[in-house]
Amino acid sequence: MRNEPEPGVLTWGVIIMITCLILYLFERVLWLVVPGLLVLVGYYCLQPLMQALVRAGLKHRTAGKVVTGLLFLVTVLGVTLLLYVAATRVAGWQATTAHYVQGGLDFLGKTQGVLAEKLPLMKRSALLRSTPMNLDAASDQFVDKYLGRLLLQLVHWLPSLLLVPYLMYFMLQDGNRLKKQVIRSVPNAFFEKTLLMFDRVDHSLQSYLVGLMKLTFLDTTCLGLGLWLLGISHPVLLGLMAAVLAWLPYVGSAAGGVLVTMVAATDYPKDPATIYGCVVLFICVRLLDDFVFLPMTVGRSLRFHPVLSVLMLFMGAAVAGPAGLLLVLPVMGVVAVITETLGQIITDQRLRARYRQARQLQRTMPEVG
Amino acid sequence: MLLGKQTERRQILEVMKSPFNFLRAAADDRRIENLKGLSLFKRLTARELRELDLLLHERSYQADEVIFDEGDTGLGLYIVVSGRVKIVSSHAALQRVTPECGPGDFFGELALFEESQRTARAVAGEPTQVLALFRTEFFSLLERDRGIGLKILFELSRTVVGRARKLLASQPHLPIV
Repeated sequence: MRNEPEPGVLTWGVIIMITCLILYLFERVLWLVVPGLLVLVGYYCLQPLMQALVRAGLKHRTAGKVVTGLLFLVTVLGVTLLLYVAATRVAGWQATTAHYVQGGLDFLGKTQGVLAEKLPLMKRSALLRSTPMNLDAASDQFVDKYLGRLLLQLVHWLPSLLLVPYLMYFMLQDGNRLKKQVIRSVPNAFFEKTLLMFDRVDHSLQSYLVGLMKLTFLDTTCLGLGLWLLGISHPVLLGLMAAVLAWLPYVGSAAGGVLVTMVAATDYPKDPATIYGCVVLFICVRLLDDFVFLPMTVGRSLRFHPVLSVLMLFMGAAVAGPAGLLLVLPVMGVVAVITETLGQIITDQRLRARYRQARQLQRTMPEVG
Repeated sequence: MLLGKQTERRQILEVMKSPFNFLRAAADDRRIENLKGLSLFKRLTARELRELDLLLHERSYQADEVIFDEGDTGLGLYIVVSGRVKIVSSHAALQRVTPECGPGDFFGELALFEESQRTARAVAGEPTQVLALFRTEFFSLLERDRGIGLKILFELSRTVVGRARKLLASQPHLPIV
């Protein structure tokens, strides 16, 4: 039960403004925001294990070291295993990828042919002229246009991603102490409200992650079921991949759509009805996801009205592009909690009077040492 | 004024230094021993105290500083570590039950059960150190480890029952069952 009044229109206006400003700044230091997010996700996922170790009798710091050590070991083993599997099966993977990309390109070619036949104006379209028609041309275009940029981005991101295990170690080991130290620095008058704020921020972030997991499950189920009914190979895997890509709203959805269409076009090259069926299914699930599932799971977890969630997604995209889409809801969740609490402190005359009294007492107190 | 500023500066320096303090393995064991000495936690083992310690917040109050006020929304319980806390209530009967809390005593316990308004004002009678246990953190502990919660709730209930008896005894027209 909450006794505090719900935030008014002015508070919501401030929340939206601050959210947009933070998204704008985050977009500028994305190399730092992404590792921070990964650390946060890792922290919440590993916290139950930490608590279990403390319950088993380990000291908190020792438990932090053990969990980080385990994480490091699992990462090293995972990467080694991945490299081993990649080395032994790289040829097979390459062939499979080439097979599906070619299937997608063939479908694209056929669609373009039909379009050009029905709409002669389309023949002059730059889109039709620039689309590669075979795998070699597509590879050449990719190497020419994107590979260099992709490698540069990788070099740019690698050092910041190396920060993740380092930050995770300190977060697990000292996160709780750091939180307590920050709370300790707050004046006594605002102590309880600050505790409440930290608790709500914590709850918001956890709710966001839980909401995201629910969303992934719903997406995977709907897509997997639809693809299975259409007879597409590996429906659950495809559904899961598209659902994970959809963590990045709209942009990730488009990538998932291309993936599903490529597989459908390769599985049924001579059956356009099935391919278009997949496209329609995908669009329906995406619409459901963006306008129903996302506001009902993530939005509701953060106590936002579905309409506000959808509007903020558009605003996030306008301010900070794909990063804004991904970050807008959790950032607004945290900003809402902090703004609400600060609003309560500022408007609570008793708290401010108590703070002034404490300062007065401090001034009149005889200096020790 | 100048002295006040110096104190403030020293406190800021302490806060700035404090994040680095945890890099040293602090005197955790001594803290656990101190916690064991508090009546509310006397039934807890060292392992349980270590888990509980993560949730406790230390606060220091000057003489005459208000800890919480009557009518505030109660968010947690306070345990006196050192010093003295005066409890002042507009309800005469309540005032008689716990007029003062000393080291080991706790107050504000009703806030641990429900988010209701405080029925009394708590003021530090002298420079006082307290430990605060926040309700939602205590609930999360209850969910994780019912054993710890049960032991704390048992001790808490004993004190609350004692205070209720005292309250009823001060109201002769009400029978004590």
